[in-house]
Amino acid sequence: MVILALSLALTFFIVSNPIGNSPVILALIKDFNYAKQKQIMLREAILALALALFFQFCGEVFLGLLYVKPYTLTYCGGILLFLVAISMIFPVPPDEVKKMKQEPFFVPIATPLISGPGLMTVIMAKSQEIDSWWIITLAIILAWIPVTIALVGSPLMQQVLKRRGMVALEQLMGMILMLISVEMVVSATMKYLNA
Amino acid sequence: MSLVSLTLILFLIMDPLGNVAYFIEVLNHIPPKQQRWVIIREMFIALGVMILFYFLGDFILDFLEVSDASVSLTAGTILFLVAIKIIFPNSRNSRLQSRGDEEPFVVPLSIPLIAGPAMLATVMFYSHLIGTSVIIPIFIAWFLASMVLVMSPLLMKTLGRNGLMAIERLMGMVLILLAIQRFLEGIHLFAQNV
Repeated sequence: MVILALSLALTFFIVSNPIGNSPVILALIKDFNYAKQKQIMLREAILALALALFFQFCGEVFLGLLYVKPYTLTYCGGILLFLVAISMIFPVPPDEVKKMKQEPFFVPIATPLISGPGLMTVIMAKSQEIDSWWIITLAIILAWIPVTIALVGSPLMQQVLKRRGMVALEQLMGMILMLISVEMVVSATMKYLNA
Repeated sequence: MSLVSLTLILFLIMDPLGNVAYFIEVLNHIPPKQQRWVIIREMFIALGVMILFYFLGDFILDFLEVSDASVSLTAGTILFLVAIKIIFPNSRNSRLQSRGDEEPFVVPLSIPLIAGPAMLATVMFYSHLIGTSVIIPIFIAWFLASMVLVMSPLLMKTLGRNGLMAIERLMGMVLILLAIQRFLEGIHLFAQNV
């Protein structure tokens, strides 16, 4: 049982991909100071956990009631990340940023980056396979702890990279995020055409 | 589609939970006693507009000779654009156009916050697709939405500004899901008729 929970936790950790995502997230919040960044990361991690647990227990019913198919979830994640990637590759001029820059809240960090459509689909699939719900809940929480550590620790990277490094990172990560988002749209289209 | 699903979908598109913060902002300078009355009046106007479009929907669609696929695609697109604005708020294009000290009348509370283009397109879409039975979910969803909005000062107090913002974003995500689903259905309908 514990081994099953651990292996599930590993799957969830890999799917939510905090280490791969942390440079992207860091590029999104690079304009805030260190203490604020840690606070944002922690809050987003908690929101992501809440969302993951919500999808474990209510995901199936919720999507069923709205007549939303699982591939729509993937489309949604893909399109949102695409829009975020565009704003990273073509950043707004600095004087305009000051006027409108709000701290990211819930979107895009908690979802679709951490608790993305991939994770939600996996959680829903696993909770159909495995009868005892507490194993999955345990696995989600087990996966969440290292995810949070990776996220809260990532602002340290900014100390290393400095200002110019962060601007370069934003461009680079915008490109990577664009790849991820297009991949999501493509795989959703595959599933849509097969359905 | 079941009654529960339709009610839930219409309730989500009215987006009362996401609109609580806007309502409070617009009604800020109005004395609390009058606020409740204004909310109820605006909700009745919104209901009137929705019912109007519910009855006119078929007529308009026939008159313009619009296909089912187009209606579905349009409903999806409008909903998508509205939801994007909720998720990525931008100070330059605020959803609240008219701001002043005068009491809000019709704009911006009834239209576009409650009975906005996305809601009206959805009502037309369902009345065209399903027929007369849609009127019941419209009423139930409207009633639930009114309940939420009348209690908005209380919700503001218990959830706080950040809590409301999280709910608003979450609702935005759900609306995007609905929008994409509607859009895909449109593509499906189109492909069937080709």
